Amino acid sequence: MQGLARTPFGGIPVGRVLIAAMATGFLALLAAAVAAGYAIRQENRHSDWVIHTYHVETVLIEARRLVEQKETARRGYMLAGTPAFLDSFERAHAALVPQIVELRRLTADNVHQRAPLAMVVRRLAELDAAQRATNELVRQGRGAEALRLFHADSGLLRMQKLRAVFDLMAREERRLLALRDAEQTASRHRFSIVAAVSILLFLLVSILSFLTVRRYTRDLQRSRVALADLNATLEEQVKERTADLALANEEIQRFAYIVSHDLRSPLVNVMGFTAELSAATGPLAELIDRAEAEAPHIVTEEARLAAREDLPEAIGFIRTSTAKMDRLINAILKLSREGRRVLAPEMIALDQLVEQITDSIRHVIDDRGVTVTIERPMPVVVSDRIALEQILSNLIENATKYRHPARAAEVHVSAQATPGRVIVAVRDNGRGIDPRDHQRVFDLFRRSGQQDQPGEGIGLAHVRALAYRLGGTISVESQLGEGATFFLSLPPTLAIESA
Amino acid sequence: MNDHRSVGIVMIEDDEGHARLIEKNIRRAGILNDIRHFTDGTTALDYLFNAPDGPAKSGPAMVLLDLNLPDMSGTDILAKIKDESSPLRRAPVVVLTTTDDKVEIQRCYDLGCNVYITKPVNYENFAQAIRQLGLFLSVIQVPEVEG
Repeated sequence: MQGLARTPFGGIPVGRVLIAAMATGFLALLAAAVAAGYAIRQENRHSDWVIHTYHVETVLIEARRLVEQKETARRGYMLAGTPAFLDSFERAHAALVPQIVELRRLTADNVHQRAPLAMVVRRLAELDAAQRATNELVRQGRGAEALRLFHADSGLLRMQKLRAVFDLMAREERRLLALRDAEQTASRHRFSIVAAVSILLFLLVSILSFLTVRRYTRDLQRSRVALADLNATLEEQVKERTADLALANEEIQRFAYIVSHDLRSPLVNVMGFTAELSAATGPLAELIDRAEAEAPHIVTEEARLAAREDLPEAIGFIRTSTAKMDRLINAILKLSREGRRVLAPEMIALDQLVEQITDSIRHVIDDRGVTVTIERPMPVVVSDRIALEQILSNLIENATKYRHPARAAEVHVSAQATPGRVIVAVRDNGRGIDPRDHQRVFDLFRRSGQQDQPGEGIGLAHVRALAYRLGGTISVESQLGEGATFFLSLPPTLAIESA
Repeated sequence: MNDHRSVGIVMIEDDEGHARLIEKNIRRAGILNDIRHFTDGTTALDYLFNAPDGPAKSGPAMVLLDLNLPDMSGTDILAKIKDESSPLRRAPVVVLTTTDDKVEIQRCYDLGCNVYITKPVNYENFAQAIRQLGLFLSVIQVPEVEG
């Protein structure tokens, strides 16, 4: 049983511990998921940036290549003068323009790239102008003039400067990439930490939950086993107790029986020898009479009193007392016998039974001038006829016995069935019972009110004992001088215990 | 009367008062037979079976038996008297006791008791019952004891 009452973790209920653990676990999972989502987004963004950087680099390289090609074509044209170089020059120029446009688009977001790009565009425009000037001179056949211009214009320097700007741009992109790489590494690191902490927390909570549940389950299991044991032995315990009770009851019955029997034995002697004594006073009184007549001087006053008054008086008291004792012993004997009698339940129509009882004490009822009314209909019960008859006849007889001197005695008997009980009420308009005595009247040898009626205080004790045996109860409602109503509550069907 | 004079009455009764009242009332009925009174079962059985002047050795007898004895139950004495091998099995036994339990009465008759009388508490009835028993004793025939 103790397993049910005890909770793990010092009084915190198991349910709350589990809910807290589960909530923490889910929060940890949620945190891990959010961190993972964030990390994936970062990763995606980073790879976009990497692709972007490589794209920029590719475009830069392509642009550089086209610039070189254009310059090469120009120089070839200057050397050889064949129109094929001019074609190649124009093609390179045509390809270069979209690359520059693309480059501008790609680096639009970067402030650091704007100035170099502007410089590239300016230098390219200058270079293009210079190249086209030499080309024009070559086409007109003025090759030497073109060569001189090429030297003067220092085309080589121009190219070198352009290359430097391209390198600057490429380095800027590299620098950005490195920056983003570092950022990405830090992000990965953060994610790892969040994930690790989450997993650790989750594991911890899982272990805690598992331990709690296991402990709780064990407690539950233990108490279930204890309960099962208790359940299994309960029937037996009840049987044992019932047997004990039956034994105790039997013991009391036997005790009452033996006591009353053994009390009777000396009583026979007392009564017997009292009778002998009484018989002996006859001749003694006769002797006194004769002595008084024949020799008055020998009769003393004491002797006369003893023979004529003291002895008969003493014998009279002994007789009435022994007679009363005999009645009391008989009452105990009767009660003990009632307890031993085997009950025989049968169908009993209560109205018929009550009528039968009133008929059997009709002479008493008429003598006392009592009107008995029976309220019909009455339910039918299954009970022991003799016991029920004794109960009701006692109650009805009592009701007619203790009348109120100021009014005509009336007794009303009714019965009604309630769920699970049948209640018989015997109501009179007699002198009533003081509420203080309502319990006492059911005790053996106890009576209430004015002791002007014969009786030993046995009837209601007998009634109560019988009512209990029938599985019923008896109670009284009354006020002094207001009449009394006795209620007999019975089970509709008497269950006979097998023991 | 002379025939019955030889029939001894053995009264086994632990209550001296009862014994005296019984004897008185038997005498009042005019029965003059010898009455031997025992207050316990052991000496009574000894007298019945072993005494040289006891019923088993000499002469017929009838037994007045109380069931509530201090040392043994009256039914045990009844069973011994009425046993198959007992020389006294034909001797009439009158059980005279306070017990009016039906089962006890049946048991006594089953054991071979000849008459069962419940002692009335009311003395007039008691005296009358004993006197009637005396009258009954004066007319019954008691068989001889087998050697």
